[in-house]
Amino acid sequence: MDCYTANWNPLGDSAFYRKYELYSMDWDLKEELRDCLVAAAPYGGPIALLRNPWRKEKAASVRPVLEIYSASGLPLASLLWKSGPVVSLGWSAEEELLCVQEDGVVLVYGLHGDFRRHFSMGNEVLQNRVLDARIFHTEFGSGVAILTGAHRFTLSANVGDLKLRRMPEVPGLQSAPSCWTTLCQDRAAHILLAVGPDLYLLDHAACSAVTPPGLAPGVSSFLQMAVSFTYRHLALFTDTGYIWMGTASLKEKLCEFNCNIRAPPKQMVWCSRPRSKERAVVVAWERRLMVVGDAPESIQFVLDEDSYLVPELDGVRIFSCSTHEFLHEVPVASEEIFKIASMAPGALLLEAQKEYEKESQKADEYLREIQELGQLTQAVQQCIEAAGHEHRPDMQKSLLRAASFGKCFLDRFPPDSFVRMCQDLRVLNAIRDYHIGIPLTYSQYKQLTIQVLLDRLVLRRLYPLAIQICEYLRLPEVQGVSRILAHWACYKVQQKDVSDEDVARAINQKLGDAPGVSYSDIAARAYGCGRTELAIKLLEYEPRSGEQVPLLLKMKRSKLALSKAIESGDTDLVFTVLLHLKNELNRGDFFMTLRNQPMALSLYRQFCKHQELETLKDLYNQDDNHQELGSFHIRASYAAEERIEGRVAALQTAADAFYKAKNEFAAKATEDQMRLLRLQRRLEDELGGHFVDLSLHDTVTTLVLGGHSKRAEQLARDFRIPDKRLWWLKLTALADLEDWEELEKFSKSKKSPIGYLPFVEICMKQHNKYEAKKYASRVGPEQKVKALLLVGDVAQAADVAIEHRNEAELTLVLSHCTGTADAATADKIQRARAQAQKK
Amino acid sequence: MAFPHRPDAPELPDFSMLKRLARDQLIYLLEQQHEVDKLYKVENKPALSSNEQLCFLVRPRIKNMRYVASLVNADKLAGRTRKYKVIFSPQKFHACEMVLEEEGVYGDVSCDEWAFSLLPLDVDLLSMELPEFFRDYFLEGDQRWINTVAQALHLLSTLYGPFPNCYGIGRCTKMSYELWRKLEEEEDGETKGRRPEIGHVFLLDRDVDFVTALCSQVVYEGLVDDTFRIKCGSVDFGPEVTSSDRSLKVLLNAEDKVFNEIRNEHFSNVFGFLSQKARNLQAQYDRRRGMDIKQMKNFVSQELKGLKQEHRLLSVHIGACESIMKKKTKQDFQELIKTEHALLEGFSIRESTSYIEEHIDRQVSPLESLRLMCLLSITENGLIPKDYRSLKTQYLQSYGPEHLLTFSNLRRAGLLTEQAPGDTLTAVESKVSKLVTDKAAGKITDAFSSLAKRSNFRAISKKLNLIPRVDGEYDLKVPRDMAYVFSGAYVPLSCRLIEQVLERRSWQGLDEVVRLLNCSELAFTDMTKEDKASSESLRLILVVFLGGCTFSEISALRFLGREKGYRFIFLTTAVTNSARLMEAMSEVKA
Repeated sequence: MDCYTANWNPLGDSAFYRKYELYSMDWDLKEELRDCLVAAAPYGGPIALLRNPWRKEKAASVRPVLEIYSASGLPLASLLWKSGPVVSLGWSAEEELLCVQEDGVVLVYGLHGDFRRHFSMGNEVLQNRVLDARIFHTEFGSGVAILTGAHRFTLSANVGDLKLRRMPEVPGLQSAPSCWTTLCQDRAAHILLAVGPDLYLLDHAACSAVTPPGLAPGVSSFLQMAVSFTYRHLALFTDTGYIWMGTASLKEKLCEFNCNIRAPPKQMVWCSRPRSKERAVVVAWERRLMVVGDAPESIQFVLDEDSYLVPELDGVRIFSCSTHEFLHEVPVASEEIFKIASMAPGALLLEAQKEYEKESQKADEYLREIQELGQLTQAVQQCIEAAGHEHRPDMQKSLLRAASFGKCFLDRFPPDSFVRMCQDLRVLNAIRDYHIGIPLTYSQYKQLTIQVLLDRLVLRRLYPLAIQICEYLRLPEVQGVSRILAHWACYKVQQKDVSDEDVARAINQKLGDAPGVSYSDIAARAYGCGRTELAIKLLEYEPRSGEQVPLLLKMKRSKLALSKAIESGDTDLVFTVLLHLKNELNRGDFFMTLRNQPMALSLYRQFCKHQELETLKDLYNQDDNHQELGSFHIRASYAAEERIEGRVAALQTAADAFYKAKNEFAAKATEDQMRLLRLQRRLEDELGGHFVDLSLHDTVTTLVLGGHSKRAEQLARDFRIPDKRLWWLKLTALADLEDWEELEKFSKSKKSPIGYLPFVEICMKQHNKYEAKKYASRVGPEQKVKALLLVGDVAQAADVAIEHRNEAELTLVLSHCTGTADAATADKIQRARAQAQKK
Repeated sequence: MAFPHRPDAPELPDFSMLKRLARDQLIYLLEQQHEVDKLYKVENKPALSSNEQLCFLVRPRIKNMRYVASLVNADKLAGRTRKYKVIFSPQKFHACEMVLEEEGVYGDVSCDEWAFSLLPLDVDLLSMELPEFFRDYFLEGDQRWINTVAQALHLLSTLYGPFPNCYGIGRCTKMSYELWRKLEEEEDGETKGRRPEIGHVFLLDRDVDFVTALCSQVVYEGLVDDTFRIKCGSVDFGPEVTSSDRSLKVLLNAEDKVFNEIRNEHFSNVFGFLSQKARNLQAQYDRRRGMDIKQMKNFVSQELKGLKQEHRLLSVHIGACESIMKKKTKQDFQELIKTEHALLEGFSIRESTSYIEEHIDRQVSPLESLRLMCLLSITENGLIPKDYRSLKTQYLQSYGPEHLLTFSNLRRAGLLTEQAPGDTLTAVESKVSKLVTDKAAGKITDAFSSLAKRSNFRAISKKLNLIPRVDGEYDLKVPRDMAYVFSGAYVPLSCRLIEQVLERRSWQGLDEVVRLLNCSELAFTDMTKEDKASSESLRLILVVFLGGCTFSEISALRFLGREKGYRFIFLTTAVTNSARLMEAMSEVKA
């Protein structure tokens, strides 16, 4: 505790700033920092260096080297720069390195120096060359702003979705602005530039001159300007050594400071923490670092080496050849606890805990003091919060220990804030480790979120750590471990020196069937790397066959795709593959493929039936499916053809097919139909009326009804209509005609093959009881009772039934005995029954 | 007789959620359009609307697409520009888009999906209203609807919790089930931890039991369906029922109190029940005779409306009954039922065959004739070649030659087939037939063929005891078993299977039956280990019929449920009956 606040520097009355070392850098820099283009990504991101040969010597004989280091100075990549002169480097929010070339082309590299893509900032930029460029971050992503040789600005607010915007011209601008920056206001990117004593704001539509309120007089030029991390504040450094600090909207002045140094600073950045009232700017010259704010005095540091400032959300990182430091305003909780002679509850609690460890009774005194003021809860909270802001694990531990100690004396203190802080700190300490080199502060970590942090670990190929963190934080598998494994697998397939089998096996071993892992995505990546065989191997691990299909199609493995689609049971997918195959294969091969896949075949047939009849025929032909071919022509004979000749021809083809199919029955039936069709046509010609398309039965009936009995007989003989049918037919027809005379003649023509009961029935249907009775007498004994009942002769029916001694018949007759008229008959039956029973 | 459920019978799940889901989705889809002002039926004729945009709500069929395309093209020819939107229900198929593309209108039409697959027809009956399922799958081998079935099951399990016990039989069942499981796995976690509401699911392909679907129905609801055709849970009663000159559309479900009491009854009881009901009603009306003013006021305000409603319903159903009686009590219906029973029991096959022949010769009804032929074929394991040929010839002569295609369809679906003749026997047979007269030969052939190959159906029937042995008259008023739905002559095979499997909680011990059904690989039981299901949910059973179920089957299972304290819920691709099955197989001249 004694010298804990030794590195605290007061700025004014209310704030302290401290600077502490993050890493001692043992990178092996061959160049001085000042000779390099430098870009360091925020949120403890990587550092890129490119020795800038284009600035000094005109003819660069040696190609420069682009080097990428982690924040702790571990080399990540190193590559010879083979493209054109680079004006500016910068990191995108996805930690991709953007290299802006003089000709306006932006090359995008990954963290490991892998080339990703490139894009151009437009023709105008190409013609006028790039004078200066900035990479900036907005809520939409990362943008690029370019100042061309013609002193015009072009910018794109999001390089992921490249839309170039040429900013309006500054009237009368002859030379390059002395300094400029991008602002982000109202969801749009603007440019603020200084020309001599004037400031101009460029938005999409116009250029307007602006004046910062309360600017000291006598300014003839602005040398440096800085926007805060959140685009809320702006600082201006003038040639009089005067610093103006205000809001970025230029509507309000916060404070000003006169440092009396007229030399232009190398860098100027804001150093403030979110939700803090203190505003401060860090200004760096060659050997001097100054923190200025709303105070008459500034804090000054001496720089021993070339240093570079990286603005962060809650402070400034400063790295040089040998060290990497963090400068920030001491957070309130820490200040309260550690300020000399602080009586804040947190400070007392920390003291109490220390005494407790020494087994001193003072612990109790301190504790009482806090409790008397009723501030124990607050004390615990303070300790927890302060722990979060400490960089050194031993300090974190002692603060957390104090919090844990205080918690014991509280009844209902919700444990989650404590637990979460412990977890967060463990994660933070792990990633701050030298080998990982992501020096995130607690505030940055919370702003970045764990998901993004995991993404960044994946980007650095630190898969095991990422997985450990997921497991430690118990993130759901789909978002956590599975996702990371999938990324790992995607990386793994790019290892070209490992054989397909080994890669596939290794991936399967690791991934198993972890939920949410899509083998097809990994396979797609493998295919993207040109490893088709590996992709196919990986696809085999994909449990959802449907997912395999699109990639298989892309890889031109259509037949495999077809069987996978069928496996998936998704007919739509099958159909998609079929159409692919149809275009890809020649007809013969296509049909052969179909032949082996009955499910696909029937699907395609269904489609053809409605859309491509000819193809359907070809399909049957190819399969020698004569049965279906026959059916096909039969259908055609009444659906497609109009003329009788055409129809007969279609039937003939059908009959031939049926013979080939050894379906003699169908063949014969078809031939009969041909005969019938021709005959019906002739009948229409000769007799008039409508015959075509009637069934044989109906044709004969029509003839009988039309009085052409002879013809009807002839037809019946020709087509061998069975007697029974003919009798039924004539019976019905004659009854319909009510030609009772003819019917009687017919009934006597020979013995009826259908008996005479139908005659009775049909006469009764026509309500001709008289005729019905004639036939009732001729009905055979078996059906006599029924016939008699039909004509309503109950009495006689009873007699017959009694004579037959048939119990069922007796019951039947009895059920017909209604009213008084039949009472006698009913009696008779009852008596007969009784008699029968006696016997 | 009303059917009181056992007091411990579980409550049915609430299906109104399904209705609400479907309705909201449709409203959403239609609201994206501007105002939909008029609905037209999609028919093959030009749309008369002069509206600026047309919206089609269709099944994803190629035929419908061609219709839409022709409309669009006609508009184009006439120089008219309109907006077109096609809403596919229950889902869009790639083939449909293909057709639109081939017809050159793909760019003019926007497509949408209405994932409406489950229509609650009644408190215990969900229908997918896909009558085409039967033909598509069982005839054409088209598996497009399997996905729809799987989606429907998935929807049910998300709404009503996971299904702890699943049983199934049939190829389509198996595929649907597997696909559904895949869906569940992919969306893991949604149903996890939910308490199951439905304890058992039983899936069944229609082709496992064609026989039941082919029989004439004699319970009231089935009979109404056979006679008047129930569409989407409602029926149009013509003038002969309403005894006025207008026809009347009646919703048939549990809400109709009168109907609810007679729907599952054998028809022979219905008339008696209705007249009893009429007398009661009269008595209630009569009560007002002795009333004073105050009582009368009470009566009018409270009871009269209910009585009038009941009165109206009663008269509708009495009308329907009379109409059915008129049609059915004729001699031929008795004969028909007698023949059916003979076929089911497997005696006097020759007489039945002659009956069918006469049926055809007299052109009674093409569908009925076909149905009887199929019933004969299935119960006898195919027709003997001679009958096969002669019946078909007769049929073609009676009803037209295009039915050659119908026969080809029926053969493919296994509904009407030819017995493969046993070689040795035919040799003997031909020798014998030379010696005796034709008629006798027929009988001998029968005898031989039944010796040669006992029909599968017959064996199954014996194993499962489908033909109850009855001593004396079967009392249809107080049914003993599910056979009452067929006048006590036959227990529906499908329902018996369900009963047996539920009893055993698996297919164990039914191996022989499964083999006889040719489903050895296709019967499965799937139970989840964790048993969170409450005893109440375990008595709630979802029965899924792929290819349609009949009202007789529903009645039979409702009866079983009452006996055993279960409640059954039915999910079917469509409610079907013998006529619909036959229609699906028939080729008719366009």
